[in-house]
Amino acid sequence: MKAKTHFAFFDEGSKKEIRRALLKAVAIPGYQVPFASREMPIARGWGTGGLQITLSLIGKQDVLKVIDQGADESVNAVSIKKLISKTTGVRLVERTEDATLIQSRHRIPEVPLTKNQILVLQVPMPEPLRGVEASEYQTKILHSEEDYSGAWLQLFEQVMKYGKTATGADHPVYVNGRYIMAPSPIPRFDNPKLHQSDALILFGAGREKKIYAVPPYADVSSLAFDDYPFQVESFAGENCHLCGAENVFLDELEDPVTNETIYQCNDTSYCLERLNENEEAEVRKTYA
Amino acid sequence: MAIDEVHDLQFVFREILHTMSRPGEIQSLRKLEGKNDLDLPLHDATLFTLLTLFDAEVSFHVLPRAENQVAGKISAYTLASHTTLAKADFIIVLPDATEAEITEALEICKKGTLIAPHRAATFIIDTDFTERNITVRLTGPGIKEQTMLHTLSNNIWEARNTTVTEFPLGVDLILTDSNMQLACVPRTTNVEVMEVE
Ligand SMILES: [Zn+2]
Repeated sequence: MKAKTHFAFFDEGSKKEIRRALLKAVAIPGYQVPFASREMPIARGWGTGGLQITLSLIGKQDVLKVIDQGADESVNAVSIKKLISKTTGVRLVERTEDATLIQSRHRIPEVPLTKNQILVLQVPMPEPLRGVEASEYQTKILHSEEDYSGAWLQLFEQVMKYGKTATGADHPVYVNGRYIMAPSPIPRFDNPKLHQSDALILFGAGREKKIYAVPPYADVSSLAFDDYPFQVESFAGENCHLCGAENVFLDELEDPVTNETIYQCNDTSYCLERLNENEEAEVRKTYA
Repeated sequence: MAIDEVHDLQFVFREILHTMSRPGEIQSLRKLEGKNDLDLPLHDATLFTLLTLFDAEVSFHVLPRAENQVAGKISAYTLASHTTLAKADFIIVLPDATEAEITEALEICKKGTLIAPHRAATFIIDTDFTERNITVRLTGPGIKEQTMLHTLSNNIWEARNTTVTEFPLGVDLILTDSNMQLACVPRTTNVEVMEVE
């Protein structure tokens, strides 16, 4: 006889605790709510925080998309999808528009999210002040006193050194004018998508045992100075060599034949969808 | 038909999360009509909220205070422990609680600390969303422009607004009614009383 596995892997007690933490996270935007992170059957640092949130949210009616650095088929995304679909039976999709729940690492999809979707971002390092202060107790005090001078100084030092704010991914943001928050290692290109989002955005850090949130229609601004404004990665003049998209986040590749630099959509499901549309348009044109 | 602890409570949680993220949006739990077979004198929306959020790790208090029997039964069903107003994680306000009791509770309940603002009380208030003599306008995170509610009283909203003047301290509200509906008002919401008759 096969042992009955629990719906969505977790026992109901574990879900309850995470659900209570999620409600507090939404009520205090950008504040890191501690929770008792569980051991998961995937390696830590592979999205256990995000996974625990997804498992506490998901129901039979949900339609799930999981992406890792823009790709639906990466090893990490696939192992998360396997675990969730095996314990819930929910429908898995790649098209962003078709999903009700999206768990992601390192990207916010190119297709704008809607009111009926929840985005769960995996977070390796939730504390935006860790580079300034090593002690967890001290960073808690800094947040409580809204003492963000260290974070600003760090940014200023980058400007002095590089002539610009030299953060790559995970550029810190101000949420609802109160908390400085790590947006997870999304490219700066995705930071503006956090501002006044139609979708609820949740963040889970498994190893650090923190949950936080950006509610819809909340103000989120990237840290910057008046004379050194926040800038997203620029791909000016470049477009995807496959689908031709502009104004999306592009990966830089080397053409194996010509050794020239070429660009390609980082969000693979977005790229595929455009390719299919173009193809259909071509076909339609041919038969018109 | 009994409540399915896994799937029905998952549904209730998503409705609560929806309205906590979009303050003042009234959500319906009508899908679960007829499923409440527990012997508790609570409206379904209140009961389902308790079942969704309560376990042995949380404490609660019931208003009006005369409702000791109700508190005992809630403990028995959920394993949550009954405690004083000042210590409770959740404060359950039944329809027969007086305005004075509610404003007093808002005054002495936990508001969290600057280090741990999440350690604040959540009020679960059984109310009515069609009070004709009050209109409040909600603005803030989760609300695109504004949301109107017709519930509670001027004095209760004023007491609630006092609790949230030192954000991130404050209290979060889950409002329920007898028609299986619920709506949340977290501490980030600006509540403006528009009309009182
Ligand atoms: Zn492309």
